[in-house]
Amino acid sequence: MADTRQRILEATYACVARWGLAKTSVEDAAREAKVSRATVYRVFPGGREELISAVVAWATLEFFIRLYEQVQGATSLEQVMERGIMFAHRSIVEDEVLQRVMQTEPEKLLPTLTFESIRIRQGIAEFLVPYLEQRGVAQGVDLKEAADFLARMVLSYMSAPGRWDLDDPGQVAQLVRAELLAGVVADPGLDAGPHR
Amino acid sequence: MAIRGTALQAVADVADDGAEAAPSSQSSPNRVRIIDATLSCLALHGTSKTTVDDIARRAGVSRATVYRVFPGGRDEVLGAVVDTEMARLFSALGVRLGEASDLTEALVGGIVEASARIRGHAALAYMVEHEPEMVLGHLAFDESDRLLATASRFTAPFLARWMSPMEAGRVAEWATRIVLSYAIAPSSQMDLTQPAQTAHLVETFVLPGIRALHAADSPTAIDITPFEQGCGQPDQRAVRGAADGRPITPAAVHHQSSEYSNAVEHYKGAMT
Repeated sequence: MADTRQRILEATYACVARWGLAKTSVEDAAREAKVSRATVYRVFPGGREELISAVVAWATLEFFIRLYEQVQGATSLEQVMERGIMFAHRSIVEDEVLQRVMQTEPEKLLPTLTFESIRIRQGIAEFLVPYLEQRGVAQGVDLKEAADFLARMVLSYMSAPGRWDLDDPGQVAQLVRAELLAGVVADPGLDAGPHR
Repeated sequence: MAIRGTALQAVADVADDGAEAAPSSQSSPNRVRIIDATLSCLALHGTSKTTVDDIARRAGVSRATVYRVFPGGRDEVLGAVVDTEMARLFSALGVRLGEASDLTEALVGGIVEASARIRGHAALAYMVEHEPEMVLGHLAFDESDRLLATASRFTAPFLARWMSPMEAGRVAEWATRIVLSYAIAPSSQMDLTQPAQTAHLVETFVLPGIRALHAADSPTAIDITPFEQGCGQPDQRAVRGAADGRPITPAAVHHQSSEYSNAVEHYKGAMT
């Protein structure tokens, strides 16, 4: 069942990459996955609508698995955030499927993606907590509150860089070490400012 | 929405048939009445189910009057609603930011004002709930960048009373990100419509970040006493109109920026 589900989701993603969200039907996904329509409906009883939501959730999770792998081995909170923001920004810019869907049918993607972003934010916050504990938060700073705030900011910057060049390691270091962490960590002075 | 109430009262006093003689006037009483009626319709039925008939009925005017004031009909009315609501939001924001006597007050006041107006906007709330595709498109990826640029270009000159224009741009953008994040996904712990909670967030996370950014940018000249002490002495590098430390008017900022009117046109187009 889990294998079938995975196969259908990968097949659906391939269809979306080819034709977009609106034009991908249950039949397309079934044909691509080499299963029957009935099988698709057994795994996704809600049919097309459930399938499309599931594929957005699946692609988002895949993205965060890659992001998680990317920041593994980072030794400090600063490094985790710098690597994470740079990788996430680059992945979003280079994700052709995401970019095309955003160009042609954002209205089909965004409600699900916005809903997913709440789970994503909680995931990022939980991931940051041990790094914050290890680094030590400033006096009077609530650990959970700081993690939630940082997760919100990470999400904001990874989807819209604004005035920052997130391909430039110096700028990302400044963003993370000066702007984002100065109020959060116990001794920002030790590690503030970009490594040049 | 005190401003809306006052504006409505003021126009109601002079509203009569004679006022329709000058339908092109921006301040035509019927224009304001129709725009506010449309906002009520949007709060009840959203964009797709709101017709010119609904708008006319709620405004207490005839269909013909709606078309006289807005010859383009429904689309033109919706465009005017976007225009008006952006002007109302940014005017209120401009007043709060312009009156602030120190940076903390400006940040807290601006974030609370924007958050409260977004939260209290019934038409926006209906659309987020029932027509999310109308709203969410403005909050993601490239469109989010556009919104950040529009809002931060407007607010930066006010913050430049206490820092360099470049720093003000960054801080304005940061504050906009904070407002948007908590507006899209409200937090049970942090309610940015509440001044005390916003002050806590600004003092804990934002002010140290601004100080650190300033130090990282200009390691030789760390003179940020004006906003540290809250004495409100304007920075010499501040924008024209603010250098004497007097409150800046929203109108002065509007005139500085044709980008604002470009943004208004963009968001008007998106409604129709």
